[in-house]
Amino acid sequence: MNTDPSPRYGGAVSLQSVENEAGQRVWPDISRATRSDLAHNVIDFARLLRSSGLLASPAEVHDVVRALRFIDLADRHEFYLTLRSILLWNPDQQEMFDQLFERFWGGWTDEEAVIQEERAPTMQSAQSEQVESQSSDASYSAMEALIEKDFSDFRPDELGAVARACVVIAKRVATRKSRRYRITSRGSRVDPRRTIRRNVKFGGTVLELSKLERKVRKPRIVVICDVSRSMEQYSVFLLQFMHSMQNVIGRIESFVFSTALHRVSSYFKHSDIQTALEDIAREVPDWSGGTRIGESLHTFNQDFARRLVDQRTVVIILSDGLDTGQTDVLAEEMARLHSRCARLIWLNPLLGKDHYQPVARGMAAALPHLDVFAAAHNLASLQHLANSLATPRGPRPARTLVG
Amino acid sequence: MIEGVRSVQELMERENYVTDRAIATTVFLAMQLRKPILIEGPAGVGKTEVAKVLAHALDTRLIRLQCYEGLDVNTALYEWNFPKQMLRMRIEEGSSLSTLEKEQLIFSEPFLFKRPLLQAISEPDQPPVLLIDEIDRADEEFEAFLLEVLSDFQVTIPELGTIEAAHRPYVALTSNRTRELSDALKRRCLYLWIDYPSFEKEAQIIQNKVPGVNHDLAQQIAAFMQAARHLKLSKIPGIAESLDWAVSLIALHQDHLEPEAVTETLGCILKDRDDIVRYAGPRVEAMVTAIAELDPNNLANAQDRILARAEA
Repeated sequence: MNTDPSPRYGGAVSLQSVENEAGQRVWPDISRATRSDLAHNVIDFARLLRSSGLLASPAEVHDVVRALRFIDLADRHEFYLTLRSILLWNPDQQEMFDQLFERFWGGWTDEEAVIQEERAPTMQSAQSEQVESQSSDASYSAMEALIEKDFSDFRPDELGAVARACVVIAKRVATRKSRRYRITSRGSRVDPRRTIRRNVKFGGTVLELSKLERKVRKPRIVVICDVSRSMEQYSVFLLQFMHSMQNVIGRIESFVFSTALHRVSSYFKHSDIQTALEDIAREVPDWSGGTRIGESLHTFNQDFARRLVDQRTVVIILSDGLDTGQTDVLAEEMARLHSRCARLIWLNPLLGKDHYQPVARGMAAALPHLDVFAAAHNLASLQHLANSLATPRGPRPARTLVG
Repeated sequence: MIEGVRSVQELMERENYVTDRAIATTVFLAMQLRKPILIEGPAGVGKTEVAKVLAHALDTRLIRLQCYEGLDVNTALYEWNFPKQMLRMRIEEGSSLSTLEKEQLIFSEPFLFKRPLLQAISEPDQPPVLLIDEIDRADEEFEAFLLEVLSDFQVTIPELGTIEAAHRPYVALTSNRTRELSDALKRRCLYLWIDYPSFEKEAQIIQNKVPGVNHDLAQQIAAFMQAARHLKLSKIPGIAESLDWAVSLIALHQDHLEPEAVTETLGCILKDRDDIVRYAGPRVEAMVTAIAELDPNNLANAQDRILARAEA
């Protein structure tokens, strides 16, 4: 292991202990290379990356230290590339990685690897802008929250019917066939390997068949429901739908949005829909506010998609597509989401109206990225949806279903 | 043989692969640390090529596993040759072998189809290059299985026992990033992101790979492609498209870009009907005219000017 102190990398003078400052581990301690040997600096650097949300475990540190034996340490760019190929796995985090690298190992200039000084301030100002816009959002939402929503208007018998229908639909969704097979005695496909084995005793005459059957695979489902003002008449029913799905399928994540996105899965864990609705109405400040689908989906893609959406996840968006945000953001986020998930379904209550055409700017932007575009204004339309979920991903453009 | 990053770069350049420091460093580290390389990037930027070139440069076998949804362990690892087993059982019908002996006989190596992963592990002479292409298309179960193979380089076949790799293969995985791979798999690998090439690199690649292309045409094609990637396209063309295009233009005896020939061959680079409808005709012609007016030796930074003409 090459742990030779190298003045270029080690910052030869200061052998600063991490605990020096009031015995606490504080940010500046690992923000730059302060140790006199390279291996320890690499460990500190990994710690800095971790504190900034990058994955850099001791196993990777070990690899870096091993790799340092093979590379030309005098070549800074090579050193940078080595660290990058071992410690960075996500191109979206490269800018952050570069900044941290520059900050930590800083002090050299190398044409190729130079990271402009201006970049740091730009990012800072971008951050502060974000904070500002967030705070203005918050006050905007507070105003919107004045529009109180009382759910008691809905007749209980209506909700009951919706609930029952939703359970049927949800069960249907939950039993999609997988491409994988399992062994059974009554399946549709012969399993040659096991058949041969079972029939050795008959001298190769096949008397007993082993069969395969497609596994029932429970898809993961993410539902994102628009609860803005224009959706007012429908959102309660749609939330009921989400609630039933969650109780049948289990693996379902629920979100609502108006001007911002809120994760509400945990509220649906109450078996009583009424309680769940009240909880959500209380927790979501911008209920019945404006609509910013693109920005809400951006939040979703940014913060949740990575963990919650994979190639077998069905994502259902419930919205009328009357967007007041930026449509190009919406189109971009829809494309991102579509490429991640198994199927992207948009349920639009307006689609049930006789003369509706999806010309609203937001809807038009989203349409090319959908697998299914369907109505969701009554129970018949929700049942229709269940049928469409049972068929495989169709070619684009989306099939439009009017129930 | 391999002494440093520089020698990897030379090795790959000898194979006509235009490389850069990032690619060469990662490949070099993969060879030294014996870790798989995970290569991500948009379609058509030469991800697969890295493995091919590596195999060629090392003069070893390239074993390729193409992933798809529903790919299972059997297809990737091994399958039993059932017809052969059946026939053998017929032959042995009158023999004195017991049922157990017969079973052992037909579940032995001659009755085994080796699929890519098993081939890679049981390669006898020297470590092969194993290319696992488009891993993002396979499902998570397969990813988990792969993780196991990549950490132990051994495989257990219930009827035969455990087979251990004689030589650890060099492994390259590619992904188009249609889904996020598990952290566990990424962690096992060195990471390499290959982006669309720069103007200089693209011109160089065209020049190296397409016989009969002259300097000016290579520069013009590269300039066009650099600009085209900034158009609002639903399918952005990669370097593979540039090469196809260059070959087509040569076949039409073109030595520089001309609106008519470009329109005829537009299908080489635009592969979506909507893209063609939107850009074929005046907009593409305006771009070609803009390129034709510029000095072929001075196209490196012409992208904005070319784009401005397309938008006008």
